[in-house]
Parts: sequence; C-alpha cells; structure tokens
Amino acid sequence: MGKEECKTMLDALNKVTACYRHLVIALGSTSDSQNLREELKKTRKKAQELAVANRTKLTTLLKDKTISKDDRAEYERLWVLFSSSMELLEVDMKRSLEIGQDFPLKVPTRHLIQTGMTGSTNAVAARAMSVQNMKYEADSNIDTADLRDLQTEITQVSQMMEEMEMKVQVAPWAVVAKQEAGAELKSNMSVGNSSVGVISICEEEPKDDEGGGGREGGSGSIGAVVVFFVIVAVALVLGYLVVNM
Amino acid sequence: SSHPPAPAPGGRSTHDGSSMEKVLVAMQDPDMGMKMRNQRLLITVIPHAMTGHDIITWLIQKYHICEEEALHLGEMLVKYGYIYPLKEPRCLVLRPDESPYRFQTPYFWTSTRWPASELDYAIYLAKKNIRKQGELVEYEKERYSLLHKRINHTWDFVVMQAREQLRASKQRRKADRIVLECQEQAYWLINRPPPGVQNMLDWGLERVCLFVCVCVYHVSLHPQQIETSRRALGRNRVKSSICLEGYWPLTAAFCCTNTINLCVCVRVLLCQYQNHDPIMQGCLPSNPWISDDIAYWTMNSEIVPVPTRLRVERWSFSFMELLSDAMGRREFMTYLEKEFSAENLHFWQECEEIRHGESSKIIEKVEDVYKNFLAPGAARWVNIDSKTMDKTLEGIKRPHRFVMDDAQMHIYFLMKKDSYPRYLKSDLYKNMLAKAVVPQETKKSVFPFMRRQRHSSPSPAQAGAPAAEEDGRAGTNSAAGSHF
Repeated sequence: MGKEECKTMLDALNKVTACYRHLVIALGSTSDSQNLREELKKTRKKAQELAVANRTKLTTLLKDKTISKDDRAEYERLWVLFSSSMELLEVDMKRSLEIGQDFPLKVPTRHLIQTGMTGSTNAVAARAMSVQNMKYEADSNIDTADLRDLQTEITQVSQMMEEMEMKVQVAPWAVVAKQEAGAELKSNMSVGNSSVGVISICEEEPKDDEGGGGREGGSGSIGAVVVFFVIVAVALVLGYLVVNM
Repeated sequence: SSHPPAPAPGGRSTHDGSSMEKVLVAMQDPDMGMKMRNQRLLITVIPHAMTGHDIITWLIQKYHICEEEALHLGEMLVKYGYIYPLKEPRCLVLRPDESPYRFQTPYFWTSTRWPASELDYAIYLAKKNIRKQGELVEYEKERYSLLHKRINHTWDFVVMQAREQLRASKQRRKADRIVLECQEQAYWLINRPPPGVQNMLDWGLERVCLFVCVCVYHVSLHPQQIETSRRALGRNRVKSSICLEGYWPLTAAFCCTNTINLCVCVRVLLCQYQNHDPIMQGCLPSNPWISDDIAYWTMNSEIVPVPTRLRVERWSFSFMELLSDAMGRREFMTYLEKEFSAENLHFWQECEEIRHGESSKIIEKVEDVYKNFLAPGAARWVNIDSKTMDKTLEGIKRPHRFVMDDAQMHIYFLMKKDSYPRYLKSDLYKNMLAKAVVPQETKKSVFPFMRRQRHSSPSPAQAGAPAAEEDGRAGTNSAAGSHF
C-alpha cells in the first residue's frame, strides 16, 4: 500500500538525515579526516536519492483526488515530516560547505579544533548507507574537490524545496501530530537505558585529577572483589554446616 | 533564495565576522598552540582538556597583552561558546585556575548566519528527555511543553529525529559520545539560556569582536602597523562622546577613562531632560492615569499633524533624539532633500533595517544597499572614505547583520557634524518649533461631582460583589487604557 511504502522511505530519509548531521558535527574537529569527507559525500548523495524518491511518491499521492479525507490528512502529515527532514538536510549541507572550506585537510599544518573527539565515524556512515562496513576509495584531495559538487547539490536541493512549496498546497499548521508530548519515552528503543544515561558527566563533577582518578577506580574494583570473596566464604560456611547437619 | 558566496578554491577563507574564530584556530597550532591535558572520568580518558590558567597564560604570551585583557578575552571566548567549562557547565566564566575547559566543535560555534532553530531545540529536548527518562530540569519541561504546542504540526518528526540521532551517536565509542553530549549541552546553554541568565547573543556577536580585534591585530600585522592600528582603533581612548552616543554600549564602560568628562556629560543630560520628564514637571494636558483622558498619548503618538513643542525641542538635544523620532526623521529628510544630501539618511535607514531586521533577509538587503548606495555609479551614491569603503566591500562578500556598521557610523557622523547643526538653524526647524502646540492644561470642573473620580482597575484577586459596582467604571477605564 502507498502509505506503508511512504512511511518506510521516510524512516530511511530520517535515519540518513540524523547520521548526516552527526557527521557534520565532526567536521573541523580532530575526528575530521579524508574518510569523514568521503562519508559525508556518500551519505549526502544517499539522502538526496531518498529525498527525490519521497517527493515523487508523496506528490503522486497528494495529487490523487480520489483519496479519502483520512488518507489525505495522513499524507499531509507525511508531507510535513518530509519537508522538515529536507529543512535539516539543507541547512546541514550548507554548513558542511562552510566548515569544509574553513578546514582544508591537504595543508602543511592542519588546524583542526581539538574537541576531545578522536574516534572514527565509519559506524555512523555505515548505518546511514545500510552496509556492514564502509569502503573508502576516494582521492586524497577529496576535501577540496568535493566542495564544488556540494555547491551544485545545495542549489539543487534549494530548488527542489522551492518547487515543493509552490506545487504542493499543504498547510503545515493544519496538520496534527500523532505523537503526544513525551511520546519518545514510551518507545522500546535500546538507547533509553544505555550507559549514555548513566554517565551524565556534564552535570557531575568529573574527577579530573589524574592520580585521584586512578585510585578511585582501583579502590572501587578492589572493594567489589572483597565483597565477592566474603559472599563466597559465607556460602561455604553455610554449606559445610548444612552438610554436617 | 540565499546561497553562500562562491568559495575561494582551496585554502582557508577568512570569516570576516569573527576574530574570535581566528583566536580559536591559532590555539590549535601544533607548535605554538595550547597545551592540552587529559580528562580522566572514572574509567574513560578524554583528551584535549585545558585549564583556565593555561588559557590566560597562552593569551598573554601570544598577543602580548596584560592579564586583565587576557581574562576579558578569555571570558568572551567562554561566553560566546567557543570554549566550554567541563566542571559546572552552567557557569560560563573563565576561572584563571585549574578548572578544566574544552574547545567547542565548529558546527556549534555561535554564528549569526546559522541561528539556533526551534526545531533543533525541540529535538535536543526530546533527546534529553529520552536519556534522562523524563527527568528534565523545570525550565526545560516548560519549554518542551511550549514547543510541543508551537510546532505541534512537526512533532512526529521531532520524535523520529530525536530517536535516530541517539541511535547514530550510539555508533560512536563511549568517550566520543560523552564529548558530544557535553558539546550539545554547552551549545544550548548559550543559545537558549536558562531563565535569569543574560542572553549573550543580544549583545551582537560581531560587535563585541571589535574589542577582541585589537588582540588579533597584534599577530597578523607588522610591528610598526600595530602601533598605527592601536592608535586608529583608539583603544582605551575612544572619545566618551562617541560612546555616549549609544553606539558601543559595551566598550563605553571600558573606554571612558576620563571620569570627570563622563560626569559632566551625565549632568548635562539630566539638566536638559528635566523639563521633559512627566514625573518631574507634570505632563500637559493631563496625566492619563489620573484623569482618564488620553489626550496626552494621542498628541504624542508617532505621527501627528502637529507635534508638541516639548517634542520638537527634544530634537535639538541630540542627533540620536532626532533620528529616533519618526516625525523628526521625516522632517530631517525633507530638509536633506532640499540640500540634495537625502541619500545619506536613506542609507542610514537601510542600514538600520539590516541591523534590526530578519536574519533571512539580510543577504538580499545588503545586496540592495550595495546596488543603490555603494556601487560605483550608483543612483544614490554615498560619500564614504576609501578605507571604510574597502573594508565594507570586503565584508559584503560574507554579509552578516553588522557588516554595514562602519559605513553607517561614518555617514551618521557626517550628518551629525554637517547637516544636523544646519538643520537646527534652518527655517524649516524654526517654523516647526513655532507651529508646535503647547497643550492647555485641562481645567478641572467647577463642580466636584462632575469631576471624574480616580480609581484603580479592579484587582484580579477580587471576586464577586465588590468588583461588580466598579465594573461599570472599570469598563470605561479599560476602554480608554486599551487605546495603546
């Protein structure tokens, strides 16, 4: 059915948009690399493919005059989701152009901002591209060569969005969201109770004294080991008593 | 639609707007940059931390400034979000001790080109909601509900995107995830500050950089030029008159070294405005809050056929006073048209529009201004000195809200020194003054019971009978008061 297909494609676009934003955040920092530039390029192209597919599908559905009122309301809701996704994508593309220009990689001394992020982003890109592992095959001057393509693509996306606004008459404010406030808490997503929540470092005082940090960790694990042995000893004593009863 | 200007192929393009970014980048230099330390958190180690003390020391050494200036410069870097504190993230100060700080990633640098949007904030709050299992801070909960109402049509997208962004960040290793969380939090603490905290962005990002610029000049220029530019910028020696003009509110405090001069200026202001203060002198025809007669407001509204005398007198107090009054500006424009120098005021007005107008329209407005006023052979070409013109033309390549500031200031002072005194002596102004009306004080009625009684509007805390009898009179009160 048209609706299900639409939703699946929108979910895919949403996923790629989120991954793309994540990659752009790493631009210009110590996580930046030739690989990141290639990841950005591939993710961006995938996003655009999905965008075009979504737009085609949704415009066809919305142009159909024979659909029911409920269906139409649903498609309008999907349309608003789609255009919000495009909004984010367009801004992130423009920003990646700006930051990419300011932080070229093929220079004698790189001045990447030391943000504390040093790991690679290939898992994020792999998620966007729906592959197991990313393959890197670009030239070493991708940081400058890609910028021209990016400019063209930005123009294309902006044009597409303008056309969308002109051709499809959907009043976004008339759309009512399905999710209520706090809906995100009800999901069964694996992220909710991950370690990310436990280590809310920014709120607490991190132990930034090196010696103190080491000792703290050490005494914690020693304590756990001691407790373990105590429990084992108690269990052995009880077992001996039971056996001897 | 706005497109970014064409990039220079390869190489680094300079951000005209922010010299703070130049400072940031200089700090990254492998040889001459900041000394980095590791941050240890329980079991994770995150690199690239620095102490406040190190930052101050580096600034002092790099730009050859004193400790006080380095402290101020460092404060700016923290307050505008280029560096964020790792301990006590809500306290945006630079402590010159062992407190740890870290650099912010370029995506989250404060920029007028990319203002933080409601949609992004909603997504951030939704993400935080998920991570904290619903335990948001009070003011965040309020803003969350507000956003839920305001952008309800796209709320499904907010939830979807929040979930996906969290899933994406799960693909990074733990240390990077922690850094990302801290970065985001720091960004939103600046762009959506908690209630009670001053929003730094109201000061104008690029304007504050004027003070910061001095330090950056030290490095990029030849030593001889350093002296020249120091003198030209008039650091610490900007005329107090310019500061009091209200153009540089932040630097005024730093630059008015002559306190006697400052006191004199303030005293003059007080004397001038004494007669114009409705509390000191009373207001004619009558105080609307007492007499329920709104004549005072109608006579002083923005555009009237005949202005009051006090108002026209105020135009002679200062140029800013004349320009901030809509009628004054109109009169002045008529005068300038007679003198064939009206393009100056038009230009000034257009620049004000850019400074105070919508962000999305800035680029096209700047283009219009360039076409009409600055391009060679333009229809209404304004006379700006070559140095300012060059600087402005450079700035136009990367237009932002304050790109026209220097040119605008130049024209402002041109008008102030040249046209404004002549306007005050002109027949046009004198006729205006003569025509201006001095309202008569409304005569109090002879019969006491004919006078309208003074009464305050009913307190919302009161309910029931006592309010009822005042309702009749309160109705007329509110009708009169709602004229505003």
